[in-house]
This record gives sequence, structure tokens and C-alpha cells, in this order.
Amino acid sequence: MRVNDIVAGIVLIAIAVFMFVLTLSFPPFPGQKYGPSLFPRILATGIIFCSLLLIVRGLRTRRGGAAMITLAPWMRDGTALVSFLAVPAAIGAYILLSDYLGFYIISFAILTLLFFWFGVRPLNAILIAAIATWTIHFFFANLMRVPLPRGLLNNII
Amino acid sequence: MWPALVEAFRLVFDPYVIGVCMASAVFGIFVGAMPGLTATMATALLVPVTFFMPPVPALGAIVTATTMAIFAGDIPAAMLRMPGTPASAAYTDESYEMSKKGQLDLNLGVNLVFSVIGGLFGVAILIIAAPMLAELAINFSSFEYFWLAALGLTCAIFIATDDPLKGFISLFIGLSLGCIGIDPAAGYPRFTFGSVELLQGISFIPAMIGLFAVTELMRGSVTIREKPAIIAQAVGNIFKGVGGVFRKYWRNCIRGSVIGTAIGALPGAGADIAAWISYAVSKKFSKEPEKFGTGHIEGIVDSTSANNSALGGAWIPALVFGIPGDSITAVVIGVLYMKNMNPGPTVFLQNPQFIYAVFIIFIIANLLMLPIGWAAIKSAKQILRTPRRILLPLILMFCMVGSFAMTNSVYGIIIMLTIGLIGWALEENGFPVAPIILGLVLGEMFEQNFMTSMIKSDGNLIGFFNRPIAATLGVMTLALWAFMLWRMTQPKAEARAT
Repeated sequence: MRVNDIVAGIVLIAIAVFMFVLTLSFPPFPGQKYGPSLFPRILATGIIFCSLLLIVRGLRTRRGGAAMITLAPWMRDGTALVSFLAVPAAIGAYILLSDYLGFYIISFAILTLLFFWFGVRPLNAILIAAIATWTIHFFFANLMRVPLPRGLLNNII
Repeated sequence: MWPALVEAFRLVFDPYVIGVCMASAVFGIFVGAMPGLTATMATALLVPVTFFMPPVPALGAIVTATTMAIFAGDIPAAMLRMPGTPASAAYTDESYEMSKKGQLDLNLGVNLVFSVIGGLFGVAILIIAAPMLAELAINFSSFEYFWLAALGLTCAIFIATDDPLKGFISLFIGLSLGCIGIDPAAGYPRFTFGSVELLQGISFIPAMIGLFAVTELMRGSVTIREKPAIIAQAVGNIFKGVGGVFRKYWRNCIRGSVIGTAIGALPGAGADIAAWISYAVSKKFSKEPEKFGTGHIEGIVDSTSANNSALGGAWIPALVFGIPGDSITAVVIGVLYMKNMNPGPTVFLQNPQFIYAVFIIFIIANLLMLPIGWAAIKSAKQILRTPRRILLPLILMFCMVGSFAMTNSVYGIIIMLTIGLIGWALEENGFPVAPIILGLVLGEMFEQNFMTSMIKSDGNLIGFFNRPIAATLGVMTLALWAFMLWRMTQPKAEARAT
């Protein structure tokens, strides 16, 4: 999805202005005119300056007939769009549910669903998801002592 | 020096270290050979695994995996016309034309042998130049470091992006992300919105995984249902004819290696840019430029040497100044800090054995590339047949657990997802992502040197030019900024950028 440079420029300026406003409450070094706010302010100014140039450039292409927003071809293809969204959705599900469900359940569920959606045969999908979940858990939790969440299975394993 | 060298050999020739390196070599070959998985991604995924290792195997794993990955990217380029990593993109069409002419064996042989030579060349320069520069850098003050970082970041945008305006915006975004957390000069929490986790700043490795792996997975998922390409040709004796190519084109190999090492050493530009530039140079100075693009070996010699030599070159500024030469060494710098070996000239005095160990592993990795690369070429059909629909979810799960492991909480995964989405949107709109990671890595050091210099010179900017080396670097930086501003206003540059 490509947006015209005008849109990109406006979004960036909004963020940079917000950043600049936040720096106003930073205290200066004792006895100096500047402090922790100086560097972020320079950066915010830099972003605003470059974004203004970007907007000027965008206006010029706009006069040449460029669209404000151009969708990538795959975004009109429902299957491809779902495949694309599946990646951030899976990460989001892990963030929200892993503590409650525990690593074994969430990992197995995410892998199986993704395999299904991408067209792996059901039996293979379940088998590979189970083996992969166990291997990753063994490697990270047992060998490297990463505290992967136990969740619902806390009392069982 | 000698006791440190002996100690370095003892550190490297340890069954555990050698084992880690062998495993990383296989991992690197696989990641490099799979189109869509890059050497930077290999590095980012390796870090959570190496997190709990001592410094030498941790660095060894990264060195070996990236060395192998950059070469392995040449295999699918020749067989499928798909570069395995961006570093092979410059000569993918040329390689594929060669295979169409029935010269697949020669192409792969040349790629393997010249990658080894280029890689060794880059390491040799690293071994010679790094300690010399370290001796010079020991006298540097905050002024020199400030200008060095400024010049490095500017070079990164100047060389590595065709749209400097968007490059600068990416860099500013990266530096701004680096501002989140406790500020380095006064200890004041900035942009934390009261969150305890943001106090520690944007955790670097999860950000890297988001930027280089999650974005790649999102793009890859769109085409996952397409039928994989099939390789028809069998591979024979790949080393036949390589000697003849060497006798005819040894000058190209040296030229490519020199260009590669130099570009690698410049901050921000790595193996992929090195390959593009040396391919262009090769064509420009060739006696038969008309043959380029028709399956001619000459440009491949230049660029395949260049991309592997860039790897060694990139370590020079990373070790000496703590300024990454490319996105791989950006990760390395993060790893060095985690292992309490703060990069900079003093590491050569305090921990020379670790530096020598890295050098030794670099040499071994390049020599190992011959047998392992040969085996990879022979089994390329099997490697390339790995179904992506199985690989993609597995890598995704690995990314999540890896990011989790860096912070021991879902905070790491939240960073990974957020930065991944931002990175995807930016890249989709022509903003390069490498400057973001450079900004994030260098932000703290850059700001600290800036603030220290400001305090030393009492807020007077003239003070930034009072020392000879600082003044030289400063004038160079300002000249580059002026030149880039001038070029931006030229109509030609704008036509190219839009």
C-alpha cells in the first residue's frame, strides 16, 4: 500500500510535533540553557524539515496525476490479504493469550492454524506443530532457561 | 600480543566453539540459500540463541553464519533467478543467463571460490587495519566521536539509498526511537508515558527481529500459495574451469575485494551495495562491456568477491569505533555490549584475545566455506524444495520466542510487532529501514558524545572544530550535507527518486 508523499509527510510532521511538545516538560541541566530535551528537539526539527520537503515533492507528483493511496494488487485478493494479516494476528494472539494458555497450547494452536491456512495437509500440520512446539520449548525453556509461560498446564507439567 | 594470540587459539579450538560454528555454518547456508531469508535475519535470529553463550562462541556463530549466508545466496540466484539474499541481487540475472547457457557448474564454482578469496581478503584488511586504527582512535575525544558518528550516518544515507530525503527521515526516526528511556546525560526518563518497561528503552534485538524478519514474513505470506519453481539442471564438477577464470580475471577479483572491503567499512553500506557498485565498476572498465547481461562471468567475479569481502570490512568500524559498517555488525555491536566488551579502541587493549579469536574464526569460516559450500551446492535441490508454507510459521514462532527471551516478558514481542509494522509501512513507501537500525544502535552513543561536547565547549559550536581530526571530520560531514542538499534540489535527482 503506497500513500502519496503528502500523506506520509503530514503523518510524520504530526508525530514530530507531538514529540517536540513532550520535550517541553523536560528539565534543563542545572545552570545550563539546554538539557535532555535538546537532542530530541533537533531530531523533531529534522523530521519536520525533511517532511516539508517531502510534501512539496508530493504536491508536484500530485499535479502529475499521482493517486493519494495506491493499494497493492494482493490487497484486493481476499486469500492473500488474510495470509498477510495472519502474521501480525498470530503475534497479537501470542501477546494477549500466552500468559493464560501457556506456551505449549498457544504455540501448538498458532502453528496448526497457520499450517492449515497455508495449505499443509491436516495430519502433517498437527504432527509438525506438535514436534516444533516441543522442540522450541525444550531448546529455550530447558537448555537456555527462558521462563516460557506455563499457563493452564501449570499443574500438569 | 603473543600471549593473547595463544589464548585466542585456545579459546577457538575448543570442541564447544567449533561445534557452535559448524552448526551456525549449516544454519547460515540454509538461510542464505532460501530466497526471502537474509543474512541480517539470520543474525537477528541467532542472537537469542547465543545470548547465554560466552563471547567467543556467540561472536563465532554470527561470523560463520553470515559468511556462509552471503555465499549461499548465489545458489538460488543461478538456479531459480531469485537471489537468496539481497547481496546476490546485483548479478542474479547474469548468473541465471549463464545457467541457461549450460554453465551452471562454472557459475557456482566461480561464486564459491571467489567468495572464499574475497572473504579472506576482507579479513586480511580487517586484521591489519583494525589495530592500527585503534591506536589512532585511542586519543579521540567526544568531539571526534561525535563527528565520526555523524559522518558515518551521513555516508550510510549517501551511499545506501537512492532517495536521501527518505533516508534522513528513517535515520531521524531511528535516533528518536533511541531517545526513548533514561537519557544518557542527565538520567531523565524520556517518552516513557509512565511505563516501567519503556524506561529500559527500545530493546534492540526484538526491534531488529521485527524490522528484518517479521516484515519479510509478512511479505512472504502473500505469495505463499504460489507454486515453487523447479530446478531442472543437475550439478556436475563445479571446480572445472575455475582456474582458467582466475588466470584471466584475477585483477577483477582483487578490484572487487578492495571495493567490497572499503564499502563494507563505510558505515551503513554492506554486502549488497558492495556487489552493485563493483558490478557497475566491472562493466565500466571491462574490455567487453557489451557481453554484460548475457551470461558473462567477468562481472560475477568482481561482485561475488566484493560481497564477501564487505563482511570483513564491516567489522573494522564496528570494533574500533563502535560504529556498525552494515546492519549485521549493528547486531554485533549490540552483542558486544551485552557481553560487556564495549566496542572501541580500548577493547583491543583490555580483551585482545577476544578480538584475535574473532579474526581466527573469520579465517576458519572462509576456509570452511569451500567444503560446506560444495556440499550445499550438491544438495541445493533438496534445500530449495523446503516448503515455505511450513517454514514461515516455524520462523514466526521462533521470532516470538526469541524476542521473548531477550526481555523475559511479552514486552519484547510487543516491540517486535510494533517495529515490524512500522518498518513494513515505511519500506512499502520507499523509506529504507537500515538507517532506522543504525539510528537505534548509535543513538545513545551519538547523543552522549554530542552532549559531552556541548558541555565541554560551553554550548559553543566552534568548539566542535578546535581539534585537528575533529575539524577535518566535521568539515567533511558538513560538505557532504551541503552536497546532498544541493543534489536534492536538482530536477534530475527528483525524477529518479519519484
